[in-house]
Amino acid sequence: MKKSRWQVPLTLVFIFMGILISLQFQAQSRIASDLTMQRTENLIAMVRGLSDKRQKLAVEIVDLNQQLRSQMESYRDETKLKTNLKAELDKLNILTGNTPLEGSGLTITISQNMPVLYIDLIHITNELWAAGAEAISINEYRITNNTSIFFGEEELSNVITVNNHRLSFPIIIRALGDSNNLEKGLTMPGGIMDRLALFNAYPFLEQAESLTIPASQDVHYNYFLKEYKPPENEPAINTADPHIPDNPASLRI
Amino acid sequence: MWLLPLFGLIIGAIIGSTIQYQIPTIYIKYMSIAVLASFDSVFGGIRAVIEEKFDGTVLLTGFFTNAMLAALLAYLGDRLGVDLYYAAVFAFGVRLFQNLANIRHNLLLKFRNYRQHKNMD
Repeated sequence: MKKSRWQVPLTLVFIFMGILISLQFQAQSRIASDLTMQRTENLIAMVRGLSDKRQKLAVEIVDLNQQLRSQMESYRDETKLKTNLKAELDKLNILTGNTPLEGSGLTITISQNMPVLYIDLIHITNELWAAGAEAISINEYRITNNTSIFFGEEELSNVITVNNHRLSFPIIIRALGDSNNLEKGLTMPGGIMDRLALFNAYPFLEQAESLTIPASQDVHYNYFLKEYKPPENEPAINTADPHIPDNPASLRI
Repeated sequence: MWLLPLFGLIIGAIIGSTIQYQIPTIYIKYMSIAVLASFDSVFGGIRAVIEEKFDGTVLLTGFFTNAMLAALLAYLGDRLGVDLYYAAVFAFGVRLFQNLANIRHNLLLKFRNYRQHKNMD
């Protein structure tokens, strides 16, 4: 056990030395990184670098502010555009019959005992459009740009159909527009009302302050419609066409 | 057999780096002279081990008193306007290198003896 006699004190001393060394090392590196201990050239370089950085950051702030402003503007534009588009959509919905409408107008009531054909309904709606009607419905069916009025055959009699829906009596035609004009359009001498009177049909007209017209229920899809765009700079295409030979001799062949 | 002191050194370094105590900046100078004195003591201890005249109490007392006295003397020198700091650095530095030279010398001698014995066997 002779060896352990020197090992223990030496180990103790080594532990203390380790503590001292690491403490001193930390302190020394702290001093070395202290600003007051730096060399003047290094300090100058540091100051220059930091002021450069500061300038760059200031430029960046200006940039970002501009960006922010432009973003805000575009956002404002976007919301404006959105409200415009929304208004447009509402208008189009009104025109295409996607929304129920309300307003003053005229109702025409045709009861069962009147001898009325589908062609008479077409005449009435044509006359109403001509008199300035803005929206028309027959019973609960809205007249849109692809509404068809026709007849269907049942066991004993013909029935009038609108968009292949069977109409049941009484037929009530509602038209939105200036009610006086609409009524006058129908009742002018030699007009549709006079012609119907020849067949002993007297539809009942009534002006109304407030009418509601339902939205169209039939969904209509367009698969083949494409907007026609006239081709641009056509002569340029012709001259660039490689299939037209320059040599007139080869044209003859 | 040298593993235990080496282990002690590593443990001491770990303890020193984990404790949060920071030496005040004005004492760093005296601390450095204390570190130098402890270096001297440790190498003196190693030399004594190799020369087989090691005394644990001498080493321990020498380690602490040398370090403290060196720091105190440097401090006193600063107070009195005498740069005893450099005297301590010089004295401990010279002794440190002497110790190192002795250690190297003794190790070399031992190594040669060992080889001679081996050759004779």
